[in-house]
Amino acid sequence: MKIKNDTDILAAIVQASNCYATRPAMVLDDQTYSYQDLFGLAGSICETLSNIKEDIIGITAENRMETYASILAVLLSGKTYVMLHPDYPTERNHQIAKQSGIGLLLYCGENGNIVPADISTRCVSLLSHRPSPYSIIIPYDIDPDVPAYIIFTSGSTGEPKGVPISRKNLNAFYKAYRTLGWELDENDRMLQMFELTFDVSVVSFLYPLTLGACVYTVPQKGMKYLNVLDVMERHRLTFAAIAPSVLRLSHPYFREISFPDLRYLIVTAEATDVNLLEEFRSCIPNAIVINLYGPTEATIYCTSYVIPPEGAKHHNGMAAIGKPFQGMDYMIVSPSGKQLPAGETGELWIAGPQLMRGYWGAPEKTAECFVTDPSGKLYYRTGDLCQADTDGDIIYCGRKDSQVKIQGFRIELGEIEYHVKAFYKHSCNAVVLPVYTTDGSCELHLAIEKEIEDTENLEQYMQSHLPSYMLPKRIHFIPCFPQNNSNKIDRYRLLKYITQ
Amino acid sequence: METTELLEILNGIFRKVLKRDDITLTEGTTAHDVNGWDSLTNMILISEIENKFGIRFSFREIVKLKNVGDLCHTIKNKIK
Repeated sequence: MKIKNDTDILAAIVQASNCYATRPAMVLDDQTYSYQDLFGLAGSICETLSNIKEDIIGITAENRMETYASILAVLLSGKTYVMLHPDYPTERNHQIAKQSGIGLLLYCGENGNIVPADISTRCVSLLSHRPSPYSIIIPYDIDPDVPAYIIFTSGSTGEPKGVPISRKNLNAFYKAYRTLGWELDENDRMLQMFELTFDVSVVSFLYPLTLGACVYTVPQKGMKYLNVLDVMERHRLTFAAIAPSVLRLSHPYFREISFPDLRYLIVTAEATDVNLLEEFRSCIPNAIVINLYGPTEATIYCTSYVIPPEGAKHHNGMAAIGKPFQGMDYMIVSPSGKQLPAGETGELWIAGPQLMRGYWGAPEKTAECFVTDPSGKLYYRTGDLCQADTDGDIIYCGRKDSQVKIQGFRIELGEIEYHVKAFYKHSCNAVVLPVYTTDGSCELHLAIEKEIEDTENLEQYMQSHLPSYMLPKRIHFIPCFPQNNSNKIDRYRLLKYITQ
Repeated sequence: METTELLEILNGIFRKVLKRDDITLTEGTTAHDVNGWDSLTNMILISEIENKFGIRFSFREIVKLKNVGDLCHTIKNKIK
């Protein structure tokens, strides 16, 4: 059976690796590795993996060529990879290793052996691995239902949930993603800034390899956002997918930085502030900016919106997420499960071949998140509040749990946040958190990412822009908000901080 | 200004921003050695240092800083 490159991401990668063997595949800490280097090592790791029975392979997330070669090797061997992170608390790595049942851990650095002692897993250091003579490896007979990877997302209960993404899911994603209209080829230089425990890293690493292009990772030493900008500028990257936090943090330097070679800027991982983006435009005069949205459960991204320089669609300053990927379908649904017409806000449900089939070993969690419609179509409930406009673009309105009721009024926390940010001329971030008192009533607390200052003017401004039931009971100034591993604001830790 | 004097001032800024009294910087100290010195707090630290000395770092200068010694050196050059 012949595998087609336009429907199979691994086949496309193998073909590119043969075609562009001597060209650079990765630049890591300023060291360049060719396709031959990367796939030679992957081939040697494949040999190690072919001798073992275990199918779930743990990999320690390190910024090393060996780590990336391990990912390729696991995929090419028809097995499943699970990332563990040296910066995670031991308890979390323990939960992930145990829940996923990893049979072997591949690691490299001296701190890479992070499987807790009470889990009997073989650990293999790749430091002494030598590349095998470069050979073509085409994965022929891999079961499409076998997960390519399992990513653990934080559950609101504190117990991580395993999201298995099958090869079928990954290929459905690839098929849709490559038809978004990119003009990219083997000469492109593309950023990979995301932690390997977060799924945007999968496309940031794998997609360039299907083109014969070069992947640039971000040094772990020092400050990440500075390193991202530094790599983008020094290596004149042409494609970058970034988290909006990079923009927020680099705001003081907008006048000094410039990326004239950048042709695509992807903003993803959390809502993008259109005002901040507008200010950043002068740094990226030749780039198309695209908002890509998607829950991990629907394989990386499943909607896209090209954010125009003028007249960007938004809700409370958060950029629209646009139209579904080819093959994906959606509904906006009322709390009672009824489909809503354009213009009305409800929960976004998505369906299609990119959807995982269920959480790893957690049928009760799966049942909570999936719904089957009368025609038998399976929908995933994203927990995101959206509305569709008359053009069919989806407008993101915030998380479902960011909607609270106070004195019977339904309040969208994003709206309050929007006005606070507008007061500060979008120079700092603001988060409104509902705090439930012992009698069950809800108080709004406002956290502003800023040094402490007088609030009189802010309070007056809010009073003139918001109804009284939307005014926060307390205001906290926090110089910097905690972030989680995916570069998103960690609301849970923020809440703990302000209520302690 | 002597480096020791400068380090004392920086200790004060770091202790205040990172809310920890046990920080004692040396020229060899890197972000890796100080709990809580990350991308987010770095932004606050830089802006506190800029205000304290009435100076401004450029993006390129900040990227080049590898340790506290580099930071001292850059500050000294600016307040000369």
